[in-house]
Amino acid sequence: MRKVFALMRANWLTALSYRVNMFFTYTGLVVGIVPLYFISHALQPMMAATIKTESPEFFAFLIVGMVTHQFVSMSVNSLHGALSSEIGSGSFEALMSTPTPLPALLLGMIGQAFTMTSLRTLVLSVAALAFGAHVVWHGVIPALLILGLIILSYLPFGIFSASLVLAFRATGPFPGGVVTASALLGGVYYPTQVIPAWIAVFSKFIPLTYGLRSLRRSLLDGAPLSASAADLGIVGVATVVLMVLSLATFIKALSYAKHSGTLTQY
Amino acid sequence: MATAAPVAVSINGVGKSFLVRRSFWDTVLHPFRREWSRALNEVSLDIHRGEFFGLLGPNGAGKTTLFKILATLVTADHGTASVEGFDVVSAASRVRELLTPVIADERSLRWRLTAKENLRLYATLYGLPSREVKGRVDEILNLVGLEDTGRKMVGRFSSGMKQRLLIGRALIPKPRVLLLDEPTRSLDPVTARTIRNFLRQEICKRLGCTVLLATHSADEAFELCDRVAILNHGEIVAVGPTEQLVLSFSDDRYRLWTRTPHHAAFDDLLTAGIASRTTLHEADTDGWGLVDMDVPGGLDRASDAVGFLVGRGVTVARFERARLSLGELIQRAVQKQTGGNRA
Repeated sequence: MRKVFALMRANWLTALSYRVNMFFTYTGLVVGIVPLYFISHALQPMMAATIKTESPEFFAFLIVGMVTHQFVSMSVNSLHGALSSEIGSGSFEALMSTPTPLPALLLGMIGQAFTMTSLRTLVLSVAALAFGAHVVWHGVIPALLILGLIILSYLPFGIFSASLVLAFRATGPFPGGVVTASALLGGVYYPTQVIPAWIAVFSKFIPLTYGLRSLRRSLLDGAPLSASAADLGIVGVATVVLMVLSLATFIKALSYAKHSGTLTQY
Repeated sequence: MATAAPVAVSINGVGKSFLVRRSFWDTVLHPFRREWSRALNEVSLDIHRGEFFGLLGPNGAGKTTLFKILATLVTADHGTASVEGFDVVSAASRVRELLTPVIADERSLRWRLTAKENLRLYATLYGLPSREVKGRVDEILNLVGLEDTGRKMVGRFSSGMKQRLLIGRALIPKPRVLLLDEPTRSLDPVTARTIRNFLRQEICKRLGCTVLLATHSADEAFELCDRVAILNHGEIVAVGPTEQLVLSFSDDRYRLWTRTPHHAAFDDLLTAGIASRTTLHEADTDGWGLVDMDVPGGLDRASDAVGFLVGRGVTVARFERARLSLGELIQRAVQKQTGGNRA
């Protein structure tokens, strides 16, 4: 773990050295919540009926969806992004030349993105609470566990994307497609019940649909974890299957890159 | 360097080919055609512990590929390579503890961090215990002369400072084997000389590191290396102690200093068939002229040539075998391609 933290620390120091960028990122989050607050309250009467099984108010519904989607986006994009950046700068070669195990390197690479996202979403959540978002406090711990499961279920997509970068230096539309499809069909901005029937079938294949529904029930409606057992079971199985497939793909891609000589090619 | 020292790096019949990238239309028209470019062909070498070994050769000869195979970053198609007895494929992690490469360029440093932060990161990644990290980082900074850089970001360093930091980074784990790919490229002559002295005195003599050096610099090859191998199109065309190799390829060329470079005896030397070619260079300010001559037939024949000239009244201040430039050495070795030599 020391090696993971060392890489995270170095990446944090690098990020912090861009002070102006850091300032605008967090200021933008706080400022951006104001229009969100007014829009969600304007839409509250229209959305109340469709979101009632997950949340009594649309503002909190929206904030939870956005926070979760930031983690989904981080899970899918951070690994291939970090890998591309390390390869592009030539530092991946140097990292791979150390006796650090590859999983530790990869964790270290995405660690900073994870903590950065956590901080961003914390700022967003605190700002939302200050604007009066309603949460059931005893549902916070179960909600965090569910969030952890959602992150794990999307990490395989990040590993698939990283495999593409290792082997072909490009991901194509894959990670963007996963993140966009999850946002549009996974219930981030509206409940999945309002999605037209002809496309709603696709939302059944998206882990976020089940994970987000469970998370909102726990955090915004105070439902126990057992109430979401079926949904969480689906996310759990998807996580295991996707994780095994993605790791196998990554190992294959690494071997291909070492054979083709592209592992450290800029 | 005693060649009887144990073998530190052993390379046996290593071969590597890369798929040639084709044009878009060629790929569309012939989707299943594959073209391969051979980077290494049956390369075999033994490099001994504590040896400073040079890899020479034109661009694309396979030097960097060989380094990347040793650094476990590229897998060979066939053959084996080991470092201190550990196979680079099956014991890759152990190899990475013993061997560190300086094959990445200065972009691989973290430019927004200080030299100390860069070294601290790699000290942890190389597995140094926490209590030793600070001391080792300070020691390395002193060793490479960057102890006064303080809070200065690496991005503000000169090329020479970045190069020294790259070498320092590779020295953190006290490697048994160091791979250096053109360590003084883009450096000014003074800095390059400082780095060369540092490599010879500190790395090789004091730390007892085995060093493999890929270079295009004659100074590096001749000043630093105990032995060199010349690679061409992925094959070793010559290998041996540096001085011996230079002499063996500069067999018939001699250089003579005289105050009478325009003496008719030089033409007689050609007429008599002792020399096959003479080239006169401009005299220096003291009036000494330099004459290059090719005298086939070894040292005895060269001695005859000197006797011939002196006997006809030529004043000879100095007569010696001409030293080949690195380019000439590589060119001659490639022309004489012997292939498959084992060191």
